[in-house]
Amino acid sequence: MKILVAVKQVAALDEDFEIRADGKDVEAEFLLRDLNEWDDFSLEEAMRIKEAATSPVEVVVVCVGPESADESIRKCLAKGADRAVRVWDDAIEGSDPIAIAQLIAAVAKRERPDLLFAGVQSSDHSFASTGIAAAALLDWPHAAVLTQLTYTPGARTARFRRELEGGLLHEMEIDCPAVLTIQLGINTPRYASLRAIKQAAAKPIEVLTLADLSVPPGAVGEGGSLSRVRRMYVPERGRAQMIEGSVEEQALQLAAIIREATGGAA
Amino acid sequence: MADSAAVTRVLFEDFTPSTVRLFYVIGYSAIAAFLYGVYVQVRKYRRGVPAGMPLNLLPRLESMLVSLLNHRMIRRRDHAAGEAHRLIFYGFVLLFLGTATITLDYDILGPLFGVHFWHGEFYLWFSLVLDIAGLMLAGGLLYMMYRRGWLKPPKLDYARPDRAPSDPDYDRSGYRREDWAFLWTLLTIAATGYVLEALRLVWLASRPEVWDTRWWSPVGAALAQAFRALGMSEAGAGEWRRNLWWFHGLLALLFIALIPYTKVKHIFTAAGSLMFRDPQAAQRLPREKPDAPRPGSQYITDFTWKQLLSLDACTKCGRCHEACPARAVGAPLSPRDVILSLREFANRTLASPALPAQAELDVHGKGPGQVAMETLWSCRTCMACVEVCPVAIEHVPIIVQLRRKLVEDGDMDPQLRKTLQTIHKTGNSFGESKRKRAAWTKTLGFPVKDARKEPVDVLWFVGDYASFDPRNQKVTAGFATLLRDAGVDFGILYDGESNAGNDVRRVGEEGLYEVLAEANIGALSGASFNSIVTTDPHSYNTIRNEYPDFGGSYRIEHYTTLLLELMQQGSLAVRHKLNLRVTFHDPCHLGRFNKGYEAPRDILKILGCELIEMGRCRSNSFCCGAGGGRIWIPDPVGADKPAQNRMREAAAIEGLQVFVVSCPKDLTMFEDALKTSGLEGRFVVRELIELVREAA
Repeated sequence: MKILVAVKQVAALDEDFEIRADGKDVEAEFLLRDLNEWDDFSLEEAMRIKEAATSPVEVVVVCVGPESADESIRKCLAKGADRAVRVWDDAIEGSDPIAIAQLIAAVAKRERPDLLFAGVQSSDHSFASTGIAAAALLDWPHAAVLTQLTYTPGARTARFRRELEGGLLHEMEIDCPAVLTIQLGINTPRYASLRAIKQAAAKPIEVLTLADLSVPPGAVGEGGSLSRVRRMYVPERGRAQMIEGSVEEQALQLAAIIREATGGAA
Repeated sequence: MADSAAVTRVLFEDFTPSTVRLFYVIGYSAIAAFLYGVYVQVRKYRRGVPAGMPLNLLPRLESMLVSLLNHRMIRRRDHAAGEAHRLIFYGFVLLFLGTATITLDYDILGPLFGVHFWHGEFYLWFSLVLDIAGLMLAGGLLYMMYRRGWLKPPKLDYARPDRAPSDPDYDRSGYRREDWAFLWTLLTIAATGYVLEALRLVWLASRPEVWDTRWWSPVGAALAQAFRALGMSEAGAGEWRRNLWWFHGLLALLFIALIPYTKVKHIFTAAGSLMFRDPQAAQRLPREKPDAPRPGSQYITDFTWKQLLSLDACTKCGRCHEACPARAVGAPLSPRDVILSLREFANRTLASPALPAQAELDVHGKGPGQVAMETLWSCRTCMACVEVCPVAIEHVPIIVQLRRKLVEDGDMDPQLRKTLQTIHKTGNSFGESKRKRAAWTKTLGFPVKDARKEPVDVLWFVGDYASFDPRNQKVTAGFATLLRDAGVDFGILYDGESNAGNDVRRVGEEGLYEVLAEANIGALSGASFNSIVTTDPHSYNTIRNEYPDFGGSYRIEHYTTLLLELMQQGSLAVRHKLNLRVTFHDPCHLGRFNKGYEAPRDILKILGCELIEMGRCRSNSFCCGAGGGRIWIPDPVGADKPAQNRMREAAAIEGLQVFVVSCPKDLTMFEDALKTSGLEGRFVVRELIELVREAA
């Protein structure tokens, strides 16, 4: 029994960031890297199945990203994942989620897991499509936004629950192998101590190239993507103005501003 | 005077050889039982791991003997009990030496070499000294009985704050019974000793060498006079003596046999614990061994032999229980109970010939003798317990090592878990960008040197709270201005500085601590400076005491020392005296941890402040509640907080104007507590730096 968990190293904005010269992304030095929050939950869900199982379960982490992503992968290994696969090639840079999904599907074909978990979305780009696209490419059934999951290793189906609008709960069953995207709050992710993270350095991270997966370079990157970023920017914000002075002065100023804004009607 | 050889005490006169033999059989049996008990205890200690410290037996023996003989630790904060213990101790030691003298004369030197010295003038002085020793012993014991029976200090109530009254471990009446049995047994031995002495005098009153020298045993002689006045005959006294002699002898031998099995063993275990004390126990926590199978302490066998020995040293005196800030606000922690739980656990699991299965050795949990997670997370690592323990039990490293196991399993408050992850990610506990670490310098109006780029005389390690907390930033800016005004050549590490790790280490996240310490040592090694100064006692402690273990040895001062120096040199002028009525709160990590008691007080004096001390000051200072990572763990809603408790203590000072602190965390904790305790307006909380600025 095997569970493949797709994870992503996401970027968060540092203080006073700057937009890259080409206007399509934030300058890399202003980004703080970390594991996508949703992936903490999907890995935890896989670990719970592994730990509750009576037969051996292998949890394999897959990540598409450059070498710097190893830091986030190591956190997954520290939490108990058995091994990790990282896919990278410079040609992958600029891929859209569907192109990334191709690579994850290719790894899934090699690994032949019983379940493929992914987070509902990533916190930086929020496409919420990689996992689902991988299911389509694999031609596996899929379900999105799980808030509860029951699966016994070896079973042919998995049961899960989703939250619908209006407080409704949706309980479903799905045939395996399947792709499931996991929602925040489904469990309480464990803490990876620094000791465990250091020890995880001894666990293998297998690095695969496009050639290893038989994916042509043209299928990924900007060229292989069907959508492209045109521009990334911070919209003009409304201005706030502090009113200073004594209470009387402040009241007078405020009245003047209101008068101006309402065209003198007030 | 009669023949010197005749002036002695009869030992086995009118005993048949078979009764003498019987006595020796019983005596040797008692010694055998004692030795077996010692063997079992030593076997228990040997089931711990190596203590990883140099033995240095001779200097350790010397310092242990000094502690024992001067009784300084036992008298602290409980003077009367300390003096009573001193009487018991010296009385007991003298009486023991007395008995040993008889054995030396009668059983060793006599039979082997025919040498006897226990007679004549020596014997008479011996009788006098032992009579006085007996009085000391009995006096001490009687006071202890009075204390337990009538004074009933709350710290001698063993009921556990961390257990429900229905819990079998709750009130521990067994301990109380043992305490009383101990007192009564010793007192009975002493009292029957005097009566025996009196009976012997009456019995042998016709022998001038006995009767004429009777006043060398004043208590016995007085009793003998009384017995004779009541009409006791010589023969009757002989008869009484024979029976009482056996009672007294058997009770004394029973006492010896029971030493290793009862609280009496503290005679040895307390001495051992004192001997192997680590004066830096809380200041410099033990490193994790790289080859350790698991982090910290999970099983009782993960404790060092020294820790196991010190568990047995506890005499339940309650000084730590009384001093603990967590206990004072009703948190489920008493340092004494942690020690007693672990001791009971060790006795249950490690005293048998075969070691039980590993699962039964796990000390974490809520079962008998186990230590609960809530208990461990209540600790502020303020060191109040370690400081006051008269037998050198080192609670803080024990608690932190237990926490390491909790951290490894993620068994901690979610807020704390998040903070640790944040510190790992950003290098500070505020989750702010590294770039913003020195943002406070922008308000100064003058540049602060980047010590990574140019050499400075004094490198200022700012620390998290002083860097990021808005209230503390004002103090930080004030300190920078003071340094500039005093002409100090100083600089900071800017974004090269990380959280110093003191509290991360005390939380039990040793791996993260190593990362932080190594990062800071790396940054410091890239800078050129003569000494370090910090306004943060927590950073001060870890850089001073713990970084050397990681290869970073620096000269570091807390700012109070530097400011005092600058004021005394005249580089920092006091233009107007403040004339304020103030009290000073000793930060744990400056005071107890590093003995920095005087500098802040001297500064207050120079500033012209009238310092009124709180009851709990200096080494008995009361923790603000922030230590040991507790600043990152929310206190239970509605519960009293140590800082509020402290505010009430300060409010009792009449006319108090300023509550002075010298630690960024203290400023945060106490300003908050002043509001929540409803005392706002009575006085204000100020950093000492702010007062110095005001006076400049």
